[in-house]
Amino acid sequence: MHPLTMMQLKIDDRILLKVEKPAKYTGNEWNMVRKPLDKVKMRFAFCFPDDYEIGMSHLGMKILYHILNKRDEVYCERAFAPWVDMERLMRENDLPLYTLETYTPLSEFDIVGFTLQYEMSYTNVLNMLDLGRIPIFARDRTEGMPFVIAGGPCACNPEPLADFFDFFVIGEGEEVINEIVDEYISWKEAKESRTEFLKRVSCIEGVYVPSFYDVIYNEDGTVKSIAPNTPDVPDSVKRRIIKDMDSVDFPEDIIVPYIGTVHDRIMLEVFRGCIRGCRFCQAGFIYRPVRERSYEKLCEIAKKSVQSTGYDEISLVSLSTSDYSALPDLCNNLIEFTEKENISLSLPSLRVDNFSLGLMDRVSKVRKSGLTFAPEAGTQRLRDVINKGITNEDLVSSVRLAVSGGWNQVKLYFMIGLPTETMEDVEGISELSINLIESCRDISGRDKFLNITLSTACFVPKPFTPFQWEPMDEIEVLMKKQYHLKDLIRKRTRNIKYNYHDARISFIEAVLARGDRRLGKVIYTAWSKGCKFDGWDEFFSFDKWMKAFSECNLDPKFYANRKREYSEVLPWDHIDMGISKEFLIKENQKAYEGDLTRNCAAGCSACGAQVYKTGICAKTKRGLIYGENTEV
Amino acid sequence: MAKILRFRFSRGEKLKYIAHLDILRVFERAVKRAGIPAAYTQGFNPRQKLVFGLPMSIGLTSESEYADIELSEDMEPCEFIARMNEGLPEGLKVEEAVPRNTKDNIMNQITAARYEIVFEVKEPKSLFEIHSMVYDFLSREDITIEKKTKKGYRPVNIRPLIYSVSAEKTAEDRFMIKAFLSAGAENNLRADLFMQAFIQETKLEIDILSMHRKALYASAFNEWKNPFEVAND
Ligand code: SF4
Repeated sequence: MHPLTMMQLKIDDRILLKVEKPAKYTGNEWNMVRKPLDKVKMRFAFCFPDDYEIGMSHLGMKILYHILNKRDEVYCERAFAPWVDMERLMRENDLPLYTLETYTPLSEFDIVGFTLQYEMSYTNVLNMLDLGRIPIFARDRTEGMPFVIAGGPCACNPEPLADFFDFFVIGEGEEVINEIVDEYISWKEAKESRTEFLKRVSCIEGVYVPSFYDVIYNEDGTVKSIAPNTPDVPDSVKRRIIKDMDSVDFPEDIIVPYIGTVHDRIMLEVFRGCIRGCRFCQAGFIYRPVRERSYEKLCEIAKKSVQSTGYDEISLVSLSTSDYSALPDLCNNLIEFTEKENISLSLPSLRVDNFSLGLMDRVSKVRKSGLTFAPEAGTQRLRDVINKGITNEDLVSSVRLAVSGGWNQVKLYFMIGLPTETMEDVEGISELSINLIESCRDISGRDKFLNITLSTACFVPKPFTPFQWEPMDEIEVLMKKQYHLKDLIRKRTRNIKYNYHDARISFIEAVLARGDRRLGKVIYTAWSKGCKFDGWDEFFSFDKWMKAFSECNLDPKFYANRKREYSEVLPWDHIDMGISKEFLIKENQKAYEGDLTRNCAAGCSACGAQVYKTGICAKTKRGLIYGENTEV
Repeated sequence: MAKILRFRFSRGEKLKYIAHLDILRVFERAVKRAGIPAAYTQGFNPRQKLVFGLPMSIGLTSESEYADIELSEDMEPCEFIARMNEGLPEGLKVEEAVPRNTKDNIMNQITAARYEIVFEVKEPKSLFEIHSMVYDFLSREDITIEKKTKKGYRPVNIRPLIYSVSAEKTAEDRFMIKAFLSAGAENNLRADLFMQAFIQETKLEIDILSMHRKALYASAFNEWKNPFEVAND
């Protein structure tokens, strides 16, 4: 018997009935996996470092939960960051953070795995470890304690969190997680030491054990080198990907939460990756190449999922659904099924054209009020810089189509602070938006002008993008741009509602995104001062973060606002995401020339992902620009 | 065989932490999983024709909730019960079902509810003391509490909504209040509000341990009726 089957907490009504939405802490949802603990050899706690309602909307967690629990000898359970009301009661009542499946404290697990979806959840990771009674620093964990691991997009620069995790998993988890489990079971049977286990997993492709690498810094604070300090450890860690999306397991028996979550529906993952290559977008690079699921497979998954969950809503998930090569076939087949079954189908991230509008008329969930466009920049010049290949004319004609189709509200997304941006570009945002309203005047009808909700995010340079070397705009500059835009809009029209992000949150995000190992102590200090749920405006405390930086003698501007040279060793250079640095440099140079790069479907630009020998790289034209010598 | 069924269900400990709208969704999904031929509303966002007798607040267990469901095909009540229970999670169970022929849906028919509330007193009290508190409580003509509404707090006199109250001792320092309260679409008095009033008036210091709904009633010709009895009026 697993020695830990003893420890099961009882959570009293005197706690549960005092918190908001107690069902976040009680589990027992439909399709929750139950297992006889005496048959289980390895217990895995999957942790999402944010609120239940967000975590339960996350597809990656559903996938890994399913993959792990398919094995009889493995039990994967879930834990989320308790909301502040619950955390207070847990601490007052001396109750450790537990999993929803068996009410077992995190400290009792073999492996505790976090998914890192956004930088602003880092302090929640520390808080969950602390609540789960696991030493926060990896070096303080001793024999018999859990291994704490992490994956997800932010793991592509694992360095700021290197102090806290025993190891990281780089890339897609479906296969590598099983290899880790196998290694764990055999290591446990061999009764070896903790370090032995880390040595074993460091041989698995995609696993990064930070304690096996030393970082040396230059005098100016930049990184001099990152190199293994242990024999047989690879110089660089390669990202794992799934080659064939049709044969990899996809969960049909997903957990159905009792309370509403952010995405409370069946999520059909249509494809991974994105062909577009917008230069600011990390997701557009780190998930390459595009790999599609066949529409037959997707329809099969949809039907089985409805049967097993009872959900009445399906949503297509991808970075850009319009780019799916079999979209008409998929939609026709799906709609036939959903209409019969009274299921609504939502189609986010569709480009607006005649095809998609026709489609939206046929599906129920797209309310006539909300269509979304993401021009990202206000002028053609700047859109060329970021390789966002849409023109003013495209936008006007899409929006006109939408308005004549009965939509009178659109959402527009832009970014502020993009490289080379001037005030003229910022003004272009209001220019473009007002122009859209004007150009729809003739068709929108007198009393219902087009209404626009305009949002601007602050541009945050991210690793593995062509902008990874760029300085972020200073907070004051971003705020000046925001106010200027706000002013311009207020003077000209009442049909635009303008929202913008808190530049100070984006600033901390920028520091963490491109930080190095020294930031570990800043994150720890910020957490000790009470930072958590930093992505939530109501909890974010800029002052505490700034105090943490100064106590640790580190300048956040060094990370966020400094222009880096191509020759500089970047803190994430030992992570190989399958995108070559030469390609990123070329893209960075092309950005300054306003030169566009074609998308993968139009032709290959040899970004490096061809090494995976799968997906779109294997199908598209190559050799036209600089793919000539590329081996396939 | 019937196209509209009225059913009684129970909600146990495991599912008492979810709010009324969430319960509604659990049922809708169970219907879908069970492949029960539900009738849907017309229009943009079709919904199952499923109506509940009385909302259930978080924390309340019940052995006697009622709902009406309209089907697109005839179905035997016993088959409905069996299939629903396969699709329902532990903690919710359909206990009985009958055809409904009346035009009135269950929501409009419910008028009263019986509750059992168990609490622990912080300072020892005898059953006699509790009894006299109940007696005093019921003797008032006006029991005004601040009720939370969408626009903030509003004073309401709940005395007319209290039909009867009694108390029992269940263990050392533990008592059970049995309350028969007005319920339904109009004039609903929730058990937690009732207890708020009881605490406010008696100044008792207690921890509420459980709140349970024993029964729901419809009224017809000045008599309390089981909702099944009025399914065919
Ligand atoms: S190698 Fe070519 S086709 Fe493949 S992802 Fe990169 S640019 Fe696209």
